[in-house]
Amino acid sequence: MITGVKITLILLVSTTISSLLLGTVIAIMRVSRIKVLRAFGTLYVEIFRNIPGLFWLLFFYFVFPDLLPPGLAIKLNTYTYYPVVAGIVGLTVDNASYVSDILRSGRLAIPHGQREAAISTGLGRVQQYIHVLLPQMFRAALPPLGTRMVHNFKNTSLCMAITAPEITWATQQIESLTFRGIEATAVATLFYILLAGVMVSIIITLEKVLKIDISSISHSETAS
Amino acid sequence: MIKFIATNKWFHNHHVLRNINLEISKGEVIVICGPSGAGKSTLLRTINKLESIDDGEIIVDGMYLSDPKTDLTALRAEIGMVFQHFNLYPHKTALKNITLAPRKVRGLGKKQATEKALKLLERVGLTHRRDAFPVQLSGGEQQRVAIARSLAMEPKIMLFDEPTSALDPELINEVLDVMVSLAKEGMTMVVVTHEIGFAQKVADRVVFMDDGEIIETGIPPDIFVNPQHPRTRNFMSSVFHIPVFGETEEEK
Repeated sequence: MITGVKITLILLVSTTISSLLLGTVIAIMRVSRIKVLRAFGTLYVEIFRNIPGLFWLLFFYFVFPDLLPPGLAIKLNTYTYYPVVAGIVGLTVDNASYVSDILRSGRLAIPHGQREAAISTGLGRVQQYIHVLLPQMFRAALPPLGTRMVHNFKNTSLCMAITAPEITWATQQIESLTFRGIEATAVATLFYILLAGVMVSIIITLEKVLKIDISSISHSETAS
Repeated sequence: MIKFIATNKWFHNHHVLRNINLEISKGEVIVICGPSGAGKSTLLRTINKLESIDDGEIIVDGMYLSDPKTDLTALRAEIGMVFQHFNLYPHKTALKNITLAPRKVRGLGKKQATEKALKLLERVGLTHRRDAFPVQLSGGEQQRVAIARSLAMEPKIMLFDEPTSALDPELINEVLDVMVSLAKEGMTMVVVTHEIGFAQKVADRVVFMDDGEIIETGIPPDIFVNPQHPRTRNFMSSVFHIPVFGETEEEK
C-alpha cells in the first residue's frame, strides 16, 4: 500500500506539471494568429477531451507499443515501469485538453489593453507572454484550474486498469489476496482524502497570495 | 518625424481614415480633437501600427511602416504610448511596471533599471508609491505611472490616447501637469484629448478630425476661436457651450 501511495504521488506530481505545460502550449496555439496552429490546438482539444481518459490509458499501454518498431515494442512491454509511464502519458494528454481550455478562458479574460501596452513598450511576442499575459492567465484561471487538478488526481486511480500499482490497484490486490477489503479500502480512503486535502490547501493558499491581482483584472475589465 | 501620405483605412465597409496627409516634425506637440467616432484614436494607433492601414504610407523616424523589412518591435520601443485606461500590468508593482521593458528590451541590469525607474517616479511625484499595485493606486496615480513606464524606454515620440478621459475631474490636472512639462522639454507628442486648456497651453498645432477626415489644421487660437470650417465651428460651439456666430440654417 505504501508503494501504491508512492506511485499515486509520482503520477499526480508528474501529470500535474506535464499537463500544465502541454495545456499552456495548446492554449497559446488556440489563441494564435496563425491559422494552422489554431486549427491544431482546436483539433487536439476536440480529440482528447471527447474521448475518455481510460481509453487513452489503454491506448498508450496496449496499442502504442505495437505501432513502434518490434525491437522498441518489446523493450517497452518488458519495462517494469511501463504501466506508470503509459499512465503518465495517458493522463497528461487527457488532462491537458481541459487545462488548455481553462487557460484559454483565462487569456480571453485579459483586457486587450494589456497586450497593447506590452507591444507599445517594445516587448516581443514571447516576452509579452512570459511577463504580461501568462501570469495573468494563470491568476484568472486559478479557481477552475485547481478543481481540474483535483479531478486529475482522482483520475490517477484509472491507471489500475493498466496495472500501474497505484493506491486503487494496491487496494484491489490486498482485497483479492487477503480478503481484507474493508481495511484496505479504509486505508486507501484516508490516503486519498489526505492527498486531496494537501492539494486543496495549496490551491487555496495560491488563490489568497495572488488575490490582489485577480481583483485588479476584473477592475480594469469593467473600466474598459 | 512622422509623415502620413494619403492614408486610408476601412473597418469592413466603414471608412475610418479618409486620405490622411499630415506631417509632424521633431519636437512638435500635436493635439488631435474632434467628435467621437471621428477616427482620432485610430489615427494615433496607426503610428505604432497597433492599427494597420489599407492604403497609403506612414513614415515614422525614417522607417516605412508598410515595409515588411521594418523592425516593428524595435520601432515601437522608440514610441511611448499612454492609454485611456492606463493598462498597467495588474500583477506588478508600480516600480516593476516601469522596469519591465527597459530590462527585457533594452537589456538594462536590475540595479540600473530600478535607479532609472525611481528617477521617473520622482518626476511624476510617486516615489512613495513604488511598491503599490495598480489596484491600490488612484486613476491619476495609475496614469502617471503609465507615463513613467513609457518614458523609461527614452522614446523619441510619445502618443497619448485620451489620457485623462477616464479620470475623475480633480485628478486630471496631476496628469496634465506631467504632460505639460514633457512638452516643454521638447518631446515630440501626439495627443488625442478633449482638454482644450492643455491644447491652448502647449500645442503647436491642433488637428480637427471628423468622420475619418482631417477637416482643419492650425495653431490653437485659429482652431478654437476662429475655425474656418462649419464642422469645426459646430464642434467647438458644442464643446464651449456657446452659440455659433455666422452659422446658416443649411449648415445646421
